[in-house]
This record gives sequence, structure tokens and C-alpha cells, in this order.
Amino acid sequence: MDLLTVTVTARESAGEPYTLVEIAGEADVTNTDELRRLLDEEVQQQPRTLIIDMSGLRFMDSSALHALLRVSRSLDRQGGVLALVSPQAAVAKILRLTTADRLIPVFDSVAEAAAG
Amino acid sequence: MARDGETTQRVPAAQEPLTRPPAPRRDGSGPLPQADPQAGDPMSYTYTTDLAAIRAVVHRYAVQAGLAEPRAIDLVLAVSEVAANTVRHARSPGSLKIWYDDKEIVCQIHDEGIITDPLAGRRQPSLDARGGHGLWIVNQLCDEVEIRSGQDGTTIRLHMALGPRARRS
Repeated sequence: MDLLTVTVTARESAGEPYTLVEIAGEADVTNTDELRRLLDEEVQQQPRTLIIDMSGLRFMDSSALHALLRVSRSLDRQGGVLALVSPQAAVAKILRLTTADRLIPVFDSVAEAAAG
Repeated sequence: MARDGETTQRVPAAQEPLTRPPAPRRDGSGPLPQADPQAGDPMSYTYTTDLAAIRAVVHRYAVQAGLAEPRAIDLVLAVSEVAANTVRHARSPGSLKIWYDDKEIVCQIHDEGIITDPLAGRRQPSLDARGGHGLWIVNQLCDEVEIRSGQDGTTIRLHMALGPRARRS
């Protein structure tokens, strides 16, 4: 079983398209390169809204967090927005501790995030 | 040692640090204090890149030691960040030792990497920084962090207090 699985789907909310990325498993320094590569591919599609559903993510370390912050900055530069959904306790902790949750909005559900 | 017939010379006070090993200091240099013998044999684990296994072991021992779940999560994150530095910087496997008694649980991580910044982990890096969050996070999460780094590599000891006096997460 892979430590980390990433699933990407194109969706729509009230006529507005958005990209939904579901990250599940454990994200750490050993798979950050792969995570970064997959997220970069999506950023290159220049989505207006990129939503990362973290409900299946049991763990995230600071390297994976850097990958998310990079996505946030890239989207910001091209006029897009990154939103995070449903972080579990361990993931919420690192987001809060590093104040990344003040930079990247965190929502309770994909629907809420899509509604902005 | 003074040999027979030789008069014992008084060593000037200024030279004492050269002839006597310095007392262990929790925030500075010098050897780490011995692991608490009451705590029994530490659990030992060697790792290369299998950090998920390290996290599972730490969580299991943290719960077994009686650490509350939010703080068990903190300890898992802290150990994982230190072990991630092994994966990033050390060119050899790392080792993890865990022991606990009724007062605290301790995780000790050793690898052959060397930390040159004496203030590593003491300053909060900006969110734009490319690195340096790991040790800062560790310092925020644990009750006490002891770091020794030198030619023999780096040893980091993370302490979490147990029981009613333990800091709330």
C-alpha cells in the first residue's frame, strides 16, 4: 500500500469550475517530491480554485506543509485560490502551530470551500 | 594520579575545566545525563526512510506510557520531524530509543548528521522560509528538548511529562 494517495477531479459549484485534490495517507519528507510534482501539475492548469480535501490524511510533516505553501503562493501569483478541507487532528496541529492556517483558508467541507 | 614520592600539586582553578569533564547542562554542551535507570531497558529502533513505522512505534509507546492523545500526536510529530532531518541530511541510518517511567516519556534520536547552528529550532522561521520549521516545531511541541551535536553526530532527546502536572496541549 502506498503511504500517500492523491486523487484529482474536476468539479463545478454554481457554474464555477474548481479542482478537487484528495490527499490520503501520510505525507512526509519521503514522499514530498511526488506530492509537489502532482500539485504542480494542477497549478499549471491555472485553476481559479484548488481545493485540497485532507480528510483522509492522517499525518503531514513540515516538508509536506512547504509543498502546500508553495502551491498557495503559486496560485496567488496567477490569481487563483487554495483552500484546505477537513484536516485531522495531527494535520490541524501543524497548520495551527506554523500559522499556515492564517495564510490558507481551512473549511469543514468541500461544499463550503467551493462556495468560498 | 600522583605517584609515590611526588608532591601533589594544586591545579589552578582556571584549568579545572580542562581536566574535569563539565557537569551535564540541559541547555548547553556536555554529555547528556544518563537515561533514567528506573525506566527499564529502552526500546531501540533503527530507521532509514520508514518514517511511518517510526510514527506508529512512537504513538504506541506514548499511549502505553499514558500520554493523552493530543500530546501523543504532538510527540509523534516531533519525532517525525527530527527523523525527517536524518532522511534529509544524514548519510546513514538513524536510531530511535524510547523509554518512560511514571513521570515522563523520552524519545532519543541519534544520527550521524551535524547541526552547526547553536540556535537551531529556537527562532520561528517565516512561512516563506525553505526550511528550518522542523526543529522549531519540535521545540514548540515538547516539554523539553536536549540537543547535542558534534563529530559523533547528533543526539536529540525529547521529553514529554506524564500525569496531572503535564502541560496541556
